[in-house]
Amino acid sequence: MKLNSLINLIQKSIYSCTLLLIILNIICVAPNSSNAFPIYAQQAYESPREATGRIVCANCHLAQKPVEIEAPQAVLPNTVFETVVKIPYDSNAKQILGNGSKGGLNVGAVVILPEGFKLAPVNRLSTELKEKTRNLYIQPYSAKQDNILVIGPISGDKNREIVFPILSPDPAKDKKAHFFKYPIYVGGNRGRGQIYPTGDKSNNNIVSALSSGKINKIELLDKGGFIIHVTNSSNVESTQKISPGLELRVKEGDTIQLDQALNSDPNVGGFGQNETEIVLQSPNRIKGMIVFFFASVLAQIFFVLKKKQFEKVQAAEMNF
Amino acid sequence: MSILKKPDLTDPKLRAKLAKGMGHNYYGEPAWPNDLLYVFPVVIIGTFACSIGLAILEPSSIGEKSNPFATPLEILPEWYFFPTFNLLRVIPNKLLGVLSMAAVPAGLLTVPFIENVNKFQNPFRRPIATTVFLIGTVVSIWLGIGATMPINNAITLGLF
Repeated sequence: MKLNSLINLIQKSIYSCTLLLIILNIICVAPNSSNAFPIYAQQAYESPREATGRIVCANCHLAQKPVEIEAPQAVLPNTVFETVVKIPYDSNAKQILGNGSKGGLNVGAVVILPEGFKLAPVNRLSTELKEKTRNLYIQPYSAKQDNILVIGPISGDKNREIVFPILSPDPAKDKKAHFFKYPIYVGGNRGRGQIYPTGDKSNNNIVSALSSGKINKIELLDKGGFIIHVTNSSNVESTQKISPGLELRVKEGDTIQLDQALNSDPNVGGFGQNETEIVLQSPNRIKGMIVFFFASVLAQIFFVLKKKQFEKVQAAEMNF
Repeated sequence: MSILKKPDLTDPKLRAKLAKGMGHNYYGEPAWPNDLLYVFPVVIIGTFACSIGLAILEPSSIGEKSNPFATPLEILPEWYFFPTFNLLRVIPNKLLGVLSMAAVPAGLLTVPFIENVNKFQNPFRRPIATTVFLIGTVVSIWLGIGATMPINNAITLGLF
């Protein structure tokens, strides 16, 4: 009896351990394995849009580049529609990667929909829309805010236009939704950021000189990168390391100032934000409007006919 | 063709008025009932239809809750303030900027007095007033477009 309960206990603890491991795995590993950099924002900010209207991606992606959004002017309730985020950049552009080599640009986007709008479930997509969004892993920003969608980083070569399939809410079922005009905010990024959430600079940056003085030697490292030896006015030598892949703008013998840029700006990407408006339209209002328009046109026609008739009377009686 | 009343040129009163460039309401299509009773409602219904259609298809959006502690990234007033807003942000001295805004209603106040120097109504017969009006209009539209652009294109519109 005692042995039995002990085995039971061991079994239970094994089960719970496995379950815990699985949950931990989902929480910690899964987002990293999908390599999603919007995750940085998701971890650090409850809402990706600050009170000033600035989208938080701009805190790490410091360069400004344009982004466009295409959304329908109006949608009916409980309907699937598509919004296109366009992130244009020069197709020849190559960016510096984390290890210093050059590579293609990645893109990512965040779409802040009005409350109640959410990502369309796969079973409601038309075959055309399914085809367009086949390789896109769009996810809600957080469990609480499924009206905010994020994607990225994905390869920018094929995804300079990202299609978001969206399901509009139904005010008949959802008490929070109303037949209104709503704003949609969108942010789009191409290329790597300049700052990590920890505050560290990435290598996609300008390196500024740590001290002023004369460069007496630039040492090329085997693994790539440089060590710059600087002698200042009081003959104290200091060194500064430059990570691989950056192009130096200074050469041996140059005199540099503190904070002077030592390399040309490697950043070819940038973040942009934009907004548009969308009307959640009631079908009944449209029907009523069409009926009203018909009635108006009919009334106008009859007024003109009545006038023509009365003009005949005036002409006959010569009374005007 | 609609009913047209011919001017009664035997009437000396009408002839006197016509000589002064007036009295054109004594002939032509009668106002009542042809115009007032029949055509006015057509126009009124048309106006209603336009406004109602616009209100349904393009309702005005409800803006964000204002927050005095968070200045929006892009501040832009209503469209009719664009030209003065642009002046205010382009002129480096804020007092001069405010004075330039005050100059707009001050300039408009002088219009009735200066306008009366010339007795004609016809814009082609008052070349100075017309020139001032046209230049003012072009400058306001130019500055208004500039207000929507970044500050370094505010005056040039990025054209030169």
